[in-house]
Amino acid sequence: MTEEAPAIFVALEQSGLGAAIRQSTWLFPVANVGHILALMVFAGALAIMDVRLLGGLAATAPARVLMRARTVAVAALILQVATGFILFTADASHVIINPVFQLKLALIAAGLGNLAIFEFGVKRSVVKLSPGAAMPASAKTAGLLSLAIWLAVAACGRSIAYF
Amino acid sequence: MLKAPMLKAMTVVAASALLAGAAVAHHGWGSYDAAKPVTVEGAILTSKYENPHATVTVRNESKVWTVTLAPTSRMSSRGASEKVIAVGNKISAYGYPSTATPDEMRAERITVDGKTYEMR
Repeated sequence: MTEEAPAIFVALEQSGLGAAIRQSTWLFPVANVGHILALMVFAGALAIMDVRLLGGLAATAPARVLMRARTVAVAALILQVATGFILFTADASHVIINPVFQLKLALIAAGLGNLAIFEFGVKRSVVKLSPGAAMPASAKTAGLLSLAIWLAVAACGRSIAYF
Repeated sequence: MLKAPMLKAMTVVAASALLAGAAVAHHGWGSYDAAKPVTVEGAILTSKYENPHATVTVRNESKVWTVTLAPTSRMSSRGASEKVIAVGNKISAYGYPSTATPDEMRAERITVDGKTYEMR
């Protein structure tokens, strides 16, 4: 590897925390398993939200489905960030210069951006809809983008080991 | 009875799951050249019993190899404890050279003090 990682990531990897993660027998594997389990829960909750936005599960009230699934998705996302930070810290200087990891970070930013646009805009027109009402195009776009972006994030995550 | 399209969909899902499993099993071996196996023999210069993979450096004739081993939980469950790969021990590591990092190899198995330990 010829590229150099920014100093802050070298420092993070060489920190006491980084050493503790690497030297613990179980912390890294537990974080690794937890990251995948949290992904499954996140993807499940997210799929329910996105399918509802796309007009599926039409017999349900959008607000109820979206808000309940969102609670689960947010909790799972927090767990993913926490476990991801553990995995990242153990090998920060290499992972940060991995092109697939950089793409993953950009996609996460895009996913959160899409979420922000939904939360502060599209949501208002969706939550007051009755069961069976047609979804506005903006909601369908948000749902489709969300599905595509987060699936790509997961694909990038798995691909870090191969680049 | 399952309808034919359902059966077909389930077959595709099952096949994908198997493929995904195979990919996970080969975690991180992609950047090592299995067509050019090498055996690195010598005294261990430095040793890190760490996750995600333990590593040792070994002087082999003219150069110093970094030998990537396995996760510590797997190594210890197979008897390859921290003491087995302690600095100064003579090690023989059979594995594959990295296609990305010069003088790095990933060990398929190591032999220390007459005992062989599989790394995957």
